Amino acid sequence: MSIAEVRHLVKKYPSFTLSDASFSVSAGRIMGFIGRNGAGKTTTIKSMFNLIHPDSGEIDYFGMPLIGNEEEIKKRIGYSTGTVNWYPRKKIRDIVSIVSRFYDTWDESAYRKYLELFELNESKAPVELSEGMKVKFNLLLALSHRAEVLILDEPTSGLDPFSRNELLDIFTGLKKEGVAVFFSTHIISDIEKCADDIVYISKGKIVSAMSKADFTGQFSEEGESLEETMLRMERGDLNA
Amino acid sequence: MRNIMLKEMKLSASPLAFLFIAFGLMFFIPGYPILCGVFFVTLGLFHSFQTAREANDIVFSALLPIAKNDVVKGKYCFVCFIEGCALILMTAATVIRMTVLSDAPVYRTNALMTANLFALGMAFFIFGLFNLIFVGGFFRTAYKQGRPFVIYIIIAFLMITVAEALHHVPGLGQLNAFGTEHIALQAVLLAAGILAFAVITLLSYRKACRDFDRIDL
Repeated sequence: MSIAEVRHLVKKYPSFTLSDASFSVSAGRIMGFIGRNGAGKTTTIKSMFNLIHPDSGEIDYFGMPLIGNEEEIKKRIGYSTGTVNWYPRKKIRDIVSIVSRFYDTWDESAYRKYLELFELNESKAPVELSEGMKVKFNLLLALSHRAEVLILDEPTSGLDPFSRNELLDIFTGLKKEGVAVFFSTHIISDIEKCADDIVYISKGKIVSAMSKADFTGQFSEEGESLEETMLRMERGDLNA
Repeated sequence: MRNIMLKEMKLSASPLAFLFIAFGLMFFIPGYPILCGVFFVTLGLFHSFQTAREANDIVFSALLPIAKNDVVKGKYCFVCFIEGCALILMTAATVIRMTVLSDAPVYRTNALMTANLFALGMAFFIFGLFNLIFVGGFFRTAYKQGRPFVIYIIIAFLMITVAEALHHVPGLGQLNAFGTEHIALQAVLLAAGILAFAVITLLSYRKACRDFDRIDL
């Protein structure tokens, strides 16, 4: 079942154009959104949050258009924006006490579980956290309100290999509960480890949006790893 | 709405915004342009907008499960709350000066405007200008604050100067009424100030909602 659908998204900037981006995120699947820096990942994700205005295209969640149903849709989405610093001088405890009020589905036990797992100290302020711990704090907020879909911008950037591994295991656990996970990354091994589907974007264009098995079947050469395939494709040899 | 106001008060606001409410008590200061108190209250609000910007407050708010208009509404409600608190202090000071201190020589010999209902009406009006020029101007980009604040400063001090000196213009002496003198005129001027505040703030809020909906964050 499609939980989030992006159709023919176009966003033009003076020096960059996101052109005709379309893909669909399904329940109980992990979708990796991969592309090099500046490929259009953040533009796409920002459009998916209605933070920027596409020139054309539609974005639906749960069968409803985002525009006009933003309030209801956002309650059912978990989001994380990498290492962005929210209220750097406020204590985590104070930030959470406010954020939790906005979600009637706030799950205090899930919050405590991830707080412990991520080894975050509620008495600390974001400014006192390392880059990796900031990512974990943003993820903590995303994971604590029983979201049906997680949209995560670079959730593994800045994380040490152990934490990255733990996080990818969390994704797999959530997937089993029927949660859809859509995450952007430029670390191909993250996709290799846990993604069911791949959306590959290059220079503002979606090169492919399909299952990982179909992707390797279509683009990989004999004996080639996913990383090698993508590096070759990024060099301009699509082999399609 | 309660939640977004709590967020404004506990996460977004600078402590200075609350502290500077006390400048409302400048309505007690003799021989001083009392309307400067209004400016200092808005200075605290300006600082609050600055600290909120450093904390990525607008994007954080836009990501919360609320309508985009509610982000704007939260800011306007917070600003009006601070202005309302300051106006309560200004009203208390004005009432005391108009009653028990109405004959105090230190106020009677004041060359500048006295604290009366006209002064209170002007306070409402200048707060309305802040909402229109600064808050409304901020939401055109949700980032740039310097230009709208400088424009507000110029217009606010122009209005303060005019208001403080107006009663020296022949025929306008009634504006500087003490106690309950010319109370009907004073009441009309206060009502006009309140009405101007309400209309300006509402128009500014509506435009800010439209502007904020258009911009990319």
